[in-house]
Amino acid sequence: MKRSDGRTEATQLRAFAASQSLLNRADGSAKFSFGTHLNSYLGESTVVASVVGPAEVKIRDEKMDEATVELIVRPAVGFPTTKEKVLERALRQTMEPTILSGMMPRTLIQIVVQIEQVDGNILSTAVNAISLAMLDAGLPMSSLVASITAAIDQQDNILLDPSSQELENATSVHTFAFDNTSSYNLLLSHSAGAFSEDQYFSCLEACKHASERVHAFIRTAVEKKIQKEYQQLQSSS
Amino acid sequence: MPSELKVVLPGDLIPAADENDNSQMEVDDEAPVVRLGPGLTQVQEDIVSMKAGVLKHQDTGNKWWLESNQRRYVAATGESVIGIVVARLAEYYRVDIGAAQSAILPILAFEGATKKNKPNLIPGTLVYARVTLANKDMEAELQCFNPSSGKADGYGELKGGFVVKCSLGLCRRLLNPETPILSFLGEHFPFETAVGMNGRIWVNSEGPKYTILLANAIKNSEYLSEAQCKAMVDSLVDKL
Repeated sequence: MKRSDGRTEATQLRAFAASQSLLNRADGSAKFSFGTHLNSYLGESTVVASVVGPAEVKIRDEKMDEATVELIVRPAVGFPTTKEKVLERALRQTMEPTILSGMMPRTLIQIVVQIEQVDGNILSTAVNAISLAMLDAGLPMSSLVASITAAIDQQDNILLDPSSQELENATSVHTFAFDNTSSYNLLLSHSAGAFSEDQYFSCLEACKHASERVHAFIRTAVEKKIQKEYQQLQSSS
Repeated sequence: MPSELKVVLPGDLIPAADENDNSQMEVDDEAPVVRLGPGLTQVQEDIVSMKAGVLKHQDTGNKWWLESNQRRYVAATGESVIGIVVARLAEYYRVDIGAAQSAILPILAFEGATKKNKPNLIPGTLVYARVTLANKDMEAELQCFNPSSGKADGYGELKGGFVVKCSLGLCRRLLNPETPILSFLGEHFPFETAVGMNGRIWVNSEGPKYTILLANAIKNSEYLSEAQCKAMVDSLVDKL
């Protein structure tokens, strides 16, 4: 099959791209994109996430037994609207359970998500960017989250990582996030449109398989960064 | 790249308590004791990592820990830190050490300090101190002398010089004598340095131009190999 942006398979994902520690003054930051400039015929969804914390918290927001998690989404253009508030809520509910906030009581964890480019599944892109930024910040986490979006088109095909054009023609859209434990716990399930139970579960399965590739990508990205940090000591030994 | 670096991510299971993996552990009739350091935790019967980092293991005492890098300091007992005095109160100074809360430095926690004879530090002063108490629910406590000898041992006010901010991983590596960057710099001119585990490095030398060079060289060295470090230091020194 031929997809609107030139991809040849329904399960084909756009190439991932990421960079870490790109912001100087944040405690951790990362950029994640579906699709890269390299293959320019594909559109691209890019999000930059920054993490500050554990930092000092305002007395008003202070929690005595855990960290306060604040998540802010900034759109690519203009001011934050209701759409961004919805995204903030979904993202906070996905990420908060994985942060071991009991280890940092009376502190603030501030996560800022800046959307750079949108071509479909912005929720997934943001989850993956935040995951990588939290790793970069070194926050204690119980597990790692990775997310994938699937869309069902009018011919009842499941399209993974849909572009915005495919989303316009889709009957339903499903976003899932899974952790990296052996049981692949579901941390986010966000669906829109009309769909049957069977369609929902086949999307869930397809996304579960695809999320393994995101997890593998995050692992490679982190390994590369750590090896770079250690090269000075290794060449001397 | 050598494959010895075992990189783990949050949620990865650590083979520390794996019964089948007891071959290298000396088990003498007792259940093997596993000691967990930073970055690792126990979840039911498994040992799980909480951060991204390099897994380290020491056979004596069967110790396992994670070496990870971050920018934000979380106080830990016994670590040396560089702090900035932000306020002076009746009994103690309030010191910013880069953690979520500021730390407390008792006015009498200096070498030879008595109620009549104590140092007077104004806000903005740099101090090199040791963390004596670190608890997630409380403010950290500092001390400016070595409790075993009662001497300053280098702790106390840092006069002159310049403070560089960097990642905690770089600070930890600078304290490792195998890290080449400080000895490369030492080949060219004399300087003083104090490395705080909280991501602050104090440097001082004969003149500002040397101090600026030191600050730049240390900051640049984080992601360079040994050969690249040497080339970087040589090119900076040539421009003096």
